[in-house]
Amino acid sequence: MVSLRATLAAIPIAALSVAVPLVNQVEPRVFGLPFVMFWIVAWGFAAPVFLWAIGRLERRW
Amino acid sequence: MSGAAIALTIVVAVVAGTIAFGLWSVRSIPKDPVQYIVGGRSFGTILLWVLLAGEIYTSFTFLGMAGWAYGRGAPAYYIFAYGVVGYIVGYFLLPAIARVGKERGLLTAPDFFVERFGSRALGVGVAICQFVLLVPYVTLQLSGLQHILQIAGYGAYDATAAVGIAFLFVALFVFTTGLRGTAWASVIKDVLVLGAVLFAGIAIPIQFFGSHATLIDQVLRRHPGFLTLRPGTAPNGAIWYVTTVLFTGVGFFMGPQSFNAAYSARSENTLRRNAIFLPIYAGVVLLLVFFAGLSALLIVPGLTGPNADQSFLLVVQRYYPPWVIGFVAAAGALAALIPASALLLAAASLFAKNVLGEFGIATTDASRTLATRVLVLIVAGAAVVLWILQPRTLVELLLIYYNGVAQFAPATIATFVWRRITVWGAAAGMGAGLILAVVLSNANLPLWGINPGFVAMAVNAVVLVVVSLLTAKIKEPATASS
Repeated sequence: MVSLRATLAAIPIAALSVAVPLVNQVEPRVFGLPFVMFWIVAWGFAAPVFLWAIGRLERRW
Repeated sequence: MSGAAIALTIVVAVVAGTIAFGLWSVRSIPKDPVQYIVGGRSFGTILLWVLLAGEIYTSFTFLGMAGWAYGRGAPAYYIFAYGVVGYIVGYFLLPAIARVGKERGLLTAPDFFVERFGSRALGVGVAICQFVLLVPYVTLQLSGLQHILQIAGYGAYDATAAVGIAFLFVALFVFTTGLRGTAWASVIKDVLVLGAVLFAGIAIPIQFFGSHATLIDQVLRRHPGFLTLRPGTAPNGAIWYVTTVLFTGVGFFMGPQSFNAAYSARSENTLRRNAIFLPIYAGVVLLLVFFAGLSALLIVPGLTGPNADQSFLLVVQRYYPPWVIGFVAAAGALAALIPASALLLAAASLFAKNVLGEFGIATTDASRTLATRVLVLIVAGAAVVLWILQPRTLVELLLIYYNGVAQFAPATIATFVWRRITVWGAAAGMGAGLILAVVLSNANLPLWGINPGFVAMAVNAVVLVVVSLLTAKIKEPATASS
């Protein structure tokens, strides 16, 4: 069984790598950015939230 | 005073001031190798933050991201994405490395392999490979510094001598203060870099285009398809993007200087907190540099090759007063010199401990520190000589560095997650990966768009597993706490 921690780590990694060709388009523009660029930037800023959640699960803070 | 004189005076004053600040903040000169090489394992969140940010985001990231945005567009997204993947991997890997380091008193990256596999011969091999990979990476920083100084000097003079002198001072600075001085100097560097990119990434687009959305509109109108990846197997296309992000992300913290940084942490949670918050800072910096590169594409079109890397600096130089380019160039100069100082220290310390030490030279604490200090100067000299002899092949050397250091990742990760790994498996995997990385980086095979380093790492991992299973009876791996 894959642990919840591993899943939480894998989601942003997959979103930033294998998922990118699936969202590789300009429209819809978000905050003026092409969609694919918005996707990557948004996941970049979401990844710390996932890591923080993993830390909580590990009872580190 | 001419523009060049004003700009260069600012660069010199900032660099000299930063070095002085680093010297002042260290106060005592360390003789103990633990103090000198890994800062006494005492760095808290902030010092570790600037140290890690300083080592990873070098002048090449600074200029390279802008150059990629300018010259290629969408493929530059990978620089943003692989760092985030790197921090996610680092969240797990850095504390694990730090724990082994603290429990076993490790000082260098090769020490880790000696400890995990119980083989000093493996340590010597890793040390020599890492040393050979680090020297050209130091050389690359010299080249970055040269580009920056030429822009700050308005192209009016040859920066070679200035680069040599600046580098001599940085080598003497590392010689004196060790890792702690580098970390404190990074504080100033990071503040200046942040200021420079806030200006370049916010002020320039707004001043020239009104808003960032208008900037993107204009780029899309003049260069349709520029901000989406080309499909499938095209050069820098979708397959290239996916394999490059995964491969460089896994290899992100595999440089020997990152092991030293992990050992220097006061606690494991210090490293975890950094893995969470650093990507936010890095993301903002890279995003702004990307906008600066796109702005330059519209303002000063037509640059190619290394000139594309300087594109946004050229915009600053042409359209803003000399003191502005002075401060931006000073930030860029520190982004070359401070990471170079950490690289010098990593290369010198691993050669002193894992090569000279294994042959019975400089084995006491005091002599080991002295040997590392002398090697700092020797490595710095070697990097300058290499830079003067072959400045043209640097991009290939950089590829070998990135593709090469990442080959230490499979064995490093396997020691924590796969107990059946053997020293033979690790050595065979790394050897196969390194050779393939060097060959493929220069062979220019198409590989269906796949990053050559990714291929090398995959072969590395397969060889590691197969040889480990075949040699399982010969030697059990050293299983430190995991």
